[in-house]
Amino acid sequence: MALFPLTSNFEGDFVLQLLPVDTENTMDEVAAAAAVHSVGRRVRDRPGHILRVRLHGSTELLPRNLKVADAGFRPTETLDIVWQAPGA
Amino acid sequence: MAVLNRMDWYDLARSTNWTPRYVTEDELFPPKLSGEFGLPLSAWESYDEPYKQTYPEYVKVQREKDAGAYSVKAALERSRIFENADPGWKSVMKAHYGAIARGEYAAASAEARMMRFSKAPGMRNMSTLGCMDEIRHGQMQLYFPHEHVSKDRQMDWAFKAYDTNEWAMIAARHFFDDIMMTRDAISVSIMLTFSFETGFTNMQFLGLAADAAEAGDHTFANLISSIQTDESRHAQIGGPALKLLIENGHKAEAQKRVDIAVWGAWKLFSVLTGPIMDYYTPLEHRKQSFKEFMEEWIVAQFERALTDMGLELPWYWDIFLKDIAQTHHGMHLGSYYWRPTLWWNPAAGITPDERAWLEEKYPGWNDTWGQCWDVFIDNVVDGNMAKAYPETLPYVCNMCQLPILGVPGKGWDVKDYPLEYKGRLYHFGSEVDRWVFEQEPERYAGHLSIVDRFLAGMIQPMNLEGALQYMNLAPGEIGDDAHNYAWAEIYRALRETRKAS
Repeated sequence: MALFPLTSNFEGDFVLQLLPVDTENTMDEVAAAAAVHSVGRRVRDRPGHILRVRLHGSTELLPRNLKVADAGFRPTETLDIVWQAPGA
Repeated sequence: MAVLNRMDWYDLARSTNWTPRYVTEDELFPPKLSGEFGLPLSAWESYDEPYKQTYPEYVKVQREKDAGAYSVKAALERSRIFENADPGWKSVMKAHYGAIARGEYAAASAEARMMRFSKAPGMRNMSTLGCMDEIRHGQMQLYFPHEHVSKDRQMDWAFKAYDTNEWAMIAARHFFDDIMMTRDAISVSIMLTFSFETGFTNMQFLGLAADAAEAGDHTFANLISSIQTDESRHAQIGGPALKLLIENGHKAEAQKRVDIAVWGAWKLFSVLTGPIMDYYTPLEHRKQSFKEFMEEWIVAQFERALTDMGLELPWYWDIFLKDIAQTHHGMHLGSYYWRPTLWWNPAAGITPDERAWLEEKYPGWNDTWGQCWDVFIDNVVDGNMAKAYPETLPYVCNMCQLPILGVPGKGWDVKDYPLEYKGRLYHFGSEVDRWVFEQEPERYAGHLSIVDRFLAGMIQPMNLEGALQYMNLAPGEIGDDAHNYAWAEIYRALRETRKAS
């Protein structure tokens, strides 16, 4: 367990933000931590949607239970946090 | 004894040059300070400044300018303009003085480098006057706000800002250190006078003077117009230097310096001038949108100046033309949302009427920037202020030191431009910022952005309180909404009307 800095690029928001997470966090937990700084502040919630994580600029979503420690991120790596529609 | 006409002696006096015999030319003009272009003293003697002025003429004209600006100030001191001004206008003054006044003093030292180390006698003469100009600008822009310090602590930042680690000041210092404090005399003439002053100070000083006159602040309008008359003279120092470099086969080096400085100037103005023009200035006093000013004062003027000079438009011109309609909206939203970290109180500028103006000037504003503001407005109207302030830092660019941002909402397009260099991951706000870094990585690699400093543990405690302390923002100075959220009443009333119907 260790603090790990990431950079959040949240769908619908306008700015990259510093996102401190823990190496034991899963991608779902990373997305939830990113949402704290965007949803309800400058981005409307989308009920029924889930949030997914991908490497910045990639189209491939990372597995939801993948841990930060196993993802091979560099400190301050930029991640896109994107909405996934129900059933998608 | 009859006095000779100026033009009978000016060229001879101006081109009088050193003929070093006891030291080498490189000892008299060290290349690091005089410019490493390999041009001998004799080549620089053909430098021909377009605006010729002698010292006695300078003193006479400057005295008249000072008398004008100071007498307007004295005459209007009792008119209580500051007390009666719209809070958005006060914020314009605070942002301007803090960002500019001490930078003018710094510019005096850059002019002094050209005055001593330029091999061109004409440039040494022009920058002697330029140096005195910058001292005048520093003094005036500290003296004028000083009368308001006792009324409003934030006005103290006219003097204080430049010495702090406030994030916008880090950005301003990073830019000015790059183009004028750490460059040789010739590069200063290209990057500071030709690239920055020709276009951008015109916009800040003339554009803002127009808004100030509209807002009834004739003291400020006169002050900055008076300053601009000096700028338009000494901004011409770089042109003949560029001409000489191009004639002597140094076009590529000259072009690169222009490209680097114009981009940095653009980024700084997108955060300083953009929000002022499109959000802080009361709607009824706006002359043109920021984009319209940019198109008139920068795009048209620079395109002409560059091509007249035999230079190309910067390679990123298409990116720049696209950015002038977007970036400053993000800089405003960012500086407003992180408003406790400012030394002024930003005006939100998002009432329904103001939004209609923004939509007219920037079609699509409501579907993009407006989407973020909608959520913010709901929080304020609902009294949910905890969500109306930030709980983390925006990630800033390792070149311009400003937030990395892009278009939000329905047109979401926010991009990072990362680069790994010697094991460290750098982040940039645009392809151009990253390109500037790549031109001379060692020049920039050691600098720590405000986020890097936070991650390095230099900001303690690691929260907003620690950040404000690090930025030297004392109680009574930290920024909040200029109108104390009075604009939210309009939205409350709209909600009630909707409910009732």
